[in-house]
Amino acid sequence: MSLCKTRLQEERKQWRKDHPFGFYAKPNKAPDGSLDLTQWTAGIPGRPGTLWADASFPITITFPEEYPSKPPKVKFPSGFYHPNVYPSGTVCLSILNEEQDWRPAITLKQIVMGVQELLDSPNPDSPAQEPAWKAYSKDRVTYEKKVREQAKRYATG
Amino acid sequence: MKSLERVLGPERYLRIRNTSVLMVGAGGIGCELLKNLILCGFGTIHAVDLDTITLSNLNRQFLFRQKDIDQSKSLTVVKAVQNFNYNDCKLEGHHGNIMDTEKFPIEWWDQFSYIFNALDNLEARRYVNKMALFLRKPLMESGTTGFDGQIQPIFPYVTECFECQPKVTPKTYPVCTIRSTPSQPIHCITWAKEFLYHQLFDELEDKTQDQRRQLESETLDRQEIDNLLRESNELAELRRMVLEPGSQFAQELIHKIFQVDIERLVNIESLWRTRKVPEPLDLLELQHELDALLQEPRSQTILVKDTSTWTLLENLYVLIRALESLQKRISSGEESCVPFDKDDEDSLNFVVAAANLRSVVFHIDPKTKFDIKQIAGNIIPAIATTNAIISGFLVLASLPFYDQEPRSRGDFGPVPQTSSTVFTSIRPNKYVTAAALSQPSPLCPACSLSARGILHVSQKDAPTLGQLVEIIKKKYGYEDIALILGKAKLIYDVDFDDNVDRSVLEVAGFVSGELLQVQDDNDELENLEFYISLGDKNELPELVLRQKVKEKEKVKENEENGTGELNNGALEPVEIIDDEVEEPPTKRQKILDIID
Repeated sequence: MSLCKTRLQEERKQWRKDHPFGFYAKPNKAPDGSLDLTQWTAGIPGRPGTLWADASFPITITFPEEYPSKPPKVKFPSGFYHPNVYPSGTVCLSILNEEQDWRPAITLKQIVMGVQELLDSPNPDSPAQEPAWKAYSKDRVTYEKKVREQAKRYATG
Repeated sequence: MKSLERVLGPERYLRIRNTSVLMVGAGGIGCELLKNLILCGFGTIHAVDLDTITLSNLNRQFLFRQKDIDQSKSLTVVKAVQNFNYNDCKLEGHHGNIMDTEKFPIEWWDQFSYIFNALDNLEARRYVNKMALFLRKPLMESGTTGFDGQIQPIFPYVTECFECQPKVTPKTYPVCTIRSTPSQPIHCITWAKEFLYHQLFDELEDKTQDQRRQLESETLDRQEIDNLLRESNELAELRRMVLEPGSQFAQELIHKIFQVDIERLVNIESLWRTRKVPEPLDLLELQHELDALLQEPRSQTILVKDTSTWTLLENLYVLIRALESLQKRISSGEESCVPFDKDDEDSLNFVVAAANLRSVVFHIDPKTKFDIKQIAGNIIPAIATTNAIISGFLVLASLPFYDQEPRSRGDFGPVPQTSSTVFTSIRPNKYVTAAALSQPSPLCPACSLSARGILHVSQKDAPTLGQLVEIIKKKYGYEDIALILGKAKLIYDVDFDDNVDRSVLEVAGFVSGELLQVQDDNDELENLEFYISLGDKNELPELVLRQKVKEKEKVKENEENGTGELNNGALEPVEIIDDEVEEPPTKRQKILDIID
């Protein structure tokens, strides 16, 4: 619907004017040479001083036709190691859930900041995958080791 | 002088005789409406519908007969009215989708002085609304559900359009709610119809991979996923038994679905921390009574008790009878599959009983066959009388427009001020209520966000995208713009100039009938929406753009209203014309969910 594309272009413009340091976000290029405003690729930097530091984690953001009435879907690469990320890579976050805290006024900036926040502050009550969730609740040493290994794979220059 | 001329007045009569109107939809309201239009003497009437006639239409779509079944609605309807076409109206039926831009380009729409909607779905209503906005033609919107009906005259940019009031979109349920953790009757009905019945008796494609992927995107629990996939595989086994007459198909199925599967679900403790644990059926315990019921010939009468809630045993009885019957139909080779159909007793009985048994297992209240038929069959009650009354209002409400000489495009004179939207219901004192038309909502996603016009592009001498950008900026006073084609294809903005040197005709999707949105990068002027028309000239529509309402103010306003919805803030109060009505009509947003 027209509200969706208007808002998405508005988000693109706002992002261009002002976006948080170390992040990037852009619509994907379609095979026909246009930009698909409903499919974005973004990079989330791990916060300095955390296990996730010095890396940029890629996500895809998919906006449904009913956006902004309905929230976008945010995905890490499949198999991403984090207690609140499903095996498929889908992020489980209350602001991205229509039945929980999603509101149409939430901006792209707030979404990516929310995902960054989630990296180092997992929600143990909302497990989305077994390995990371188990390790996080029962074996912190293994958890930290795995997270560091993953951060190395996505290390920035 | 003819009586019609006397009733309408000679001048108005002449205008109506010489005009051309469009009727979109030739179903429940359409049949009634076409009759009225013809008897009112409209000179030319075009009727569009993509549907064919079915048996269930005949009770109220009175222009159709048994012999017309499977024929085109639009073509049949124009023939059927000929025997009372006393005014020699010119009729044209079009069998096709009104949203087809090749069959119905915008130039075709422009021949009509009035558009009447007699539609049954949101998508087409939105599309026609948009065409009316582009052409600034009056649109008469309508809908009925049971005794409730509504008409809404729409004068583009002067009164509320179809999209000024937000519409509720149909709800979908997550697979996991349906498969593992139902909590409402609708979850069980959806499960019985879309999953269980479909898996057993309908045509199947292999979707195992899709299924896994969808489940993984939803659930937290690998154990739950594996369990659900295992259930499906076992069901496929059972499906094979359908083909073996005399097998213990019914018993095995019930045992698996309502006992074994449920026992397994109970074992996944993570699911039941905050929910009530389901209770598997104990078939052994019930067997004795069930056998007695099955042997008793009078049990047959259960099947017709469609307005009382069946007991657990009665549901089991119905399920077994339905299974036997369906198995017979398929194993005999008569039918290779039996898709769900609310009018197919076997498939309906199956779904009713299976849904209710699942409800019992999950501590949900079971429903009557009558109720489940409505839900599973997506039945919206249609009453011929409501359709007839509403169609009467549709034509009456359109007549004032012909009181005046035609004005320039988009100028409707004083007519919008005196027009009203009309509601019918069976509530006492509210049989018929009317309300003055509201102003367009400043937050409407269709009519407030942009100005509209037709962009003519020459096929011989098309500009490059970069040239088009410059022309648009200069013509309308934008400083910088973004161009979005169709649903969400960005083809140009200040940060994206890959395509500027190409001819617009080489930009994928730049075709006749497609929409091109222009967005102001500086947020000063309102957006602009073009309907692209490729032809033999380059021409931009003459439009004066309004200053934009700032997005931030809108959001703020909405936050204060506590709705958080971008498009929900500016509902105009309803002004009631009828003195006897103390409360505003509650059906304001009705038109959306209404059938024919």
